[in-house]
Amino acid sequence: MSEVREAAEPVAAGDVPEEKARSLRAETWRQFRRHRLAVVGLAVLTLFTVAVIVGPWLIPFDPYYIDARTANLAPTLTHPMGTDELGRDQLARVLIGGRLTLAVSAAAVLVALIVGVAVGAVAGYAGGFPDNALMRVVDVFYALPGLFIVILLVALIGPTFWTIVIAIAVLSWMNTARLVRSSFLSLKEKEFVEAARTVGVSDARIVLRHILPNAFSPVIVAATLGVANAILIESSLSFLGLGFQPPEATWGGMLSESKSAVISLGQWWRGLFPGLMIFITVLSTNFIGDGLRDALDPRSAGNKGGRA
Amino acid sequence: MVGPYVVRRMLQAIPLLFGISIIIFLMLQMAPGGPLASGEAQAAITPEKIERLRAHYGLDDPLPIQYLNWLGGLVTGDWGVSYDTGQPVLQVITERLPTTLALTGLAFAVSLLIAIPVGILAATRQYSVFDYASTGLSFAGIATPSFWFGLMLLYLFSFQWDLLPSAGLTDLREDHVGFAAVWDRTTHLIMPVAVLALIATANLARYVRASMLEVLGQDYVRTARGSGLPERTVILQHAGKNASVPVVTIAMLMVPELFLGAVITETIFSIPGMGALFVHSAELRDYPVLLGILVIAAVLVVITNLVADVIYGLLDPRISYE
Repeated sequence: MSEVREAAEPVAAGDVPEEKARSLRAETWRQFRRHRLAVVGLAVLTLFTVAVIVGPWLIPFDPYYIDARTANLAPTLTHPMGTDELGRDQLARVLIGGRLTLAVSAAAVLVALIVGVAVGAVAGYAGGFPDNALMRVVDVFYALPGLFIVILLVALIGPTFWTIVIAIAVLSWMNTARLVRSSFLSLKEKEFVEAARTVGVSDARIVLRHILPNAFSPVIVAATLGVANAILIESSLSFLGLGFQPPEATWGGMLSESKSAVISLGQWWRGLFPGLMIFITVLSTNFIGDGLRDALDPRSAGNKGGRA
Repeated sequence: MVGPYVVRRMLQAIPLLFGISIIIFLMLQMAPGGPLASGEAQAAITPEKIERLRAHYGLDDPLPIQYLNWLGGLVTGDWGVSYDTGQPVLQVITERLPTTLALTGLAFAVSLLIAIPVGILAATRQYSVFDYASTGLSFAGIATPSFWFGLMLLYLFSFQWDLLPSAGLTDLREDHVGFAAVWDRTTHLIMPVAVLALIATANLARYVRASMLEVLGQDYVRTARGSGLPERTVILQHAGKNASVPVVTIAMLMVPELFLGAVITETIFSIPGMGALFVHSAELRDYPVLLGILVIAAVLVVITNLVADVIYGLLDPRISYE
């Protein structure tokens, strides 16, 4: 975003550019590091990811263990996020739930990425009729009422891990497809592609080895922001009671279960912590996406006026 | 001219609507078990009865025939009958639609009323405390899950301070008249509208700010300032007009988002609208109602896109209609 970039500019001004040639990856990392919030976001997200992977083994509570003696406890040192009406430790559930939420979101973005890259590459490289037809399909998917379709697919097919992944992916691939297509349209006319073709490189190899690596920058940004979106969709679905079913925990599901405890019993900790986890994760992901955008394509910063 | 342009854009929307209707229809067919799956599980229903039900609802016809029948019904106003209540779908939906549209409209109005002044102020006072605060809040707003925000509001305003009612649209215990009725309705709507408007407001404020900043840096604005016009006139009339072009487009595209977001808002605050109906029907596999709601939502998406395009053209004379 322009806001953060502009704030970072004074740093840039005092930074004398080195003459030595740098690899694209090193250069991107150098740019990314200037974006302080993005670095914080990356640190937080890394911490959360490690925590949800190893955390459940480290803490002494089982997220599914029901114990009436510890029911409805406000946060204490033993239970930093309190317990629910079944006496389950909320920290344990937040960790195990985060695992599910993050895994679903990552998988959904990955599937969307594969579909989007495939469609965009075919459309952009082939041009003509295939391009037109595929872009009309993209238009149709853009016009689908997103959350309704996710709810419908999951409600009809059943709330399994892969159903939820596919349902989110079905509505998330179009952006990538458009970005990849437009990169391909311009890249396929470039001299290096021409050169590859002249020496007899096959189409498949040109697409995979020569064009695709050059078309990836905007896709990485879109995918990062896609993770934030996927987390919000999965959480909404779980909050509506249509996602993973109890006793399975997800952040959205915990919020859904906490509703009456928070509103009629005032057990604020039941609602505060799972929501805070979603909030911090999405915020961090958005910061990372912005940092990547600025690092990979400095011109795009701040220019958000066009149509999505 | 604008007229033919609008007509042409409307004609372009027709194949789009066809595409959407086919996808929606196929999605429902993909469901394992089909529409009567929940009924088949009940032992009380005999196989003969299922046969009769299948024939009654036209479920034995080939898919293309079913699709055409459904499409024909949509156009002629026969949207089928709810499997759940037996009421006509159109009636079920029109009972709920005004609530959701009112919620959407109010949230839209609120986000415009907040986001536009905030975005303009932030842009004209770039790097001020106000700018940093509003930008920070926008970032936070975009990352806030609406159901969490709603839950926390309920905790504070209903449980802790007992200021606002926690559910529904009106006070069911008491009949209010006159001013009291208006007040009753208002207190019921404050939190749902705030929750629904949050993300749209945060998004819009950022767009308004970015769009203003871009315009304020241009030569003609400096010229206007240099010619001694009051700052107010420069910002609101000269810069504001051009900055509004992209903002209007984004704002229109947010209307369907708000409409879909109403599902969650209605669930948190137990408001009987379209969203609640959709979730309920999804659980029951009430296909005709689901299809009906999806069609309405899709039409809304297409219409707002169309309106956004047309307004864009009206505001920016450089856009050609050819």
